[in-house]
Amino acid sequence: MLYEMTGLEKILGGRKILDISRFTIRSGRIYSLTGPNGAGKTTLLKILAFLDRPSAGEIRFCGNPVLQGKSDMLNLRRQVVMVDQSPLLFTGTVTDNVEFGLKMRKIPAAERRKMTIDALEQVGMEHFVRAEAHRLSGGETKRVALARALAIRPKVLLCDEPTANVDSENQKIILDILADINRQEKTSIIFSTHYQSLEQQLAHFCLHLEHGHISEHQAANVYHAELIERGHHRSSCRLSEEVTLTLPTRVVPAEPLFNLRIDQEKIRLADIIGERETEGSLIEGRVARIREENGRIEVKLDAGIILDLMLSRRMYEDRSIRVGEVVAVVIPDDAVHCVPNNGDFRLD
Amino acid sequence: MELLRDSLLSAVVLLMQLDPELLFIIWVSVKVSALSTLIASIIGIPAGLLLAQAVFPGKRIVLTCLNTLLALPTVVIGLVVYAFISRRGTFGSFGLLYTQEAIIIGQIILVVPLVTSLTIAAVSKLDERYRLSAMTLGADRVQTALVIFKEARFGIVAAVVAAFGRVIAEVGIGMMLGGNAKGFTRTMTTAMALEYDKGEYVLAVALGVVLMSIAFGVNMLFHFFQGRTRTDAL
Repeated sequence: MLYEMTGLEKILGGRKILDISRFTIRSGRIYSLTGPNGAGKTTLLKILAFLDRPSAGEIRFCGNPVLQGKSDMLNLRRQVVMVDQSPLLFTGTVTDNVEFGLKMRKIPAAERRKMTIDALEQVGMEHFVRAEAHRLSGGETKRVALARALAIRPKVLLCDEPTANVDSENQKIILDILADINRQEKTSIIFSTHYQSLEQQLAHFCLHLEHGHISEHQAANVYHAELIERGHHRSSCRLSEEVTLTLPTRVVPAEPLFNLRIDQEKIRLADIIGERETEGSLIEGRVARIREENGRIEVKLDAGIILDLMLSRRMYEDRSIRVGEVVAVVIPDDAVHCVPNNGDFRLD
Repeated sequence: MELLRDSLLSAVVLLMQLDPELLFIIWVSVKVSALSTLIASIIGIPAGLLLAQAVFPGKRIVLTCLNTLLALPTVVIGLVVYAFISRRGTFGSFGLLYTQEAIIIGQIILVVPLVTSLTIAAVSKLDERYRLSAMTLGADRVQTALVIFKEARFGIVAAVVAAFGRVIAEVGIGMMLGGNAKGFTRTMTTAMALEYDKGEYVLAVALGVVLMSIAFGVNMLFHFFQGRTRTDAL
């Protein structure tokens, strides 16, 4: 376990912000953290980053108890890094900022320079090596702040609203970076978010914080998959007894068992039941729930697996689907992301 | 008005002639003020950084005491230090009374609270995210303090400039602990007070012009540095 919290409380100004009786966070996963304003998301992230202390309770990190106020806090902080919602860069160049954490760890200059360039390449900011940090736009600042955090190769990356206040192009870049570092470096990521749909595509698990209490549920559209036939171009993968998808063979992992995530933004309603889709899979299911969220319509479909999809209001009104109705949906190939099911990453 | 004009003209002539007595007085003033500001900064800046960051019971009382010390009259400092360094005092054997070192000691006591308070003000105004960013990136206490120092540098340099302005313009400590000895401890302010007593306005006005020029020069230097750095950062 990465974090184990028992009886964790945080009291600010006489108000109990956090009241977590028992909770665990696993290693190598991506967690999203949602909750209304003032729910304590940032406070929890600061506690997990060892930047703040709980008022009561115990935290264990990687199995070891965290002794609040003791000298090992610095060592713990050096394994976890938090990126602020509106990060501030230090005075100086982009390089000065990215190599800051490495300097703190007394990494030799040559190695430091290489790690700095690597981190900037990871976020696509390698052309800004000599740029003054204060001249960057909001999105660029966030990416450099992310590079500054990644340069130190943390065990845990905590992001407070990683895509808040940035344009849609930078939002996508940031989310892709987070997905990549989780996949490549096995970095555990916990990020807070207001958006139900966008970032949650990224998360393996969703945490919800309300009135200081935390709850966990598995992220939408994440499934165990079993390879049943590997073809030259396309392969068949079973998600349940009733649901089999055909995927391009190049995206299917070598192992027969893996995890699979379907981007709910990219699923679309098929025009007719039984429509053939060459670059994707078609599945049918019964509409189990319809609800509105931020002007869009979230539909939960029971198709042998529970499938969440987001529809635009216009599409919803055109099709006027109802709860209980059987509909067909197309899952395009680019909506499916396969994740190898190794020891570090396994859905329970 | 005529007196001031004539004195000013004579003062300019005196300055242009580079009168050795005048130059020595200026040198003593600048040296003593610079040293006392330097030592006060070495004490006051870390103390300010520490007090601004630390959370401890009684912090409010400490800050109130510090603010009270800002109003400490120079004659009180002169009296207290005199009590310690006079021949019968605890440190009388060091022979500090009526030396430049005595003036420096008094001036340090005068401006340490000023440097500390202004450093606290500069650091308190700084965005908390700088401290948290440094900490989450693995900085220890000293490294975090250095980041804060760097980001709050304009405010801290302003504190040092204010301290220098305070000590170079003070007269009470220079008079009581320095003794205004010609060729030894005579500073610009003590010399001006003496010349005024004697009714000799020319040297007093010349020293006044120099004093104002130094204060102006230091402030210009600070604003030039601040402006250039900020433009670079934009």
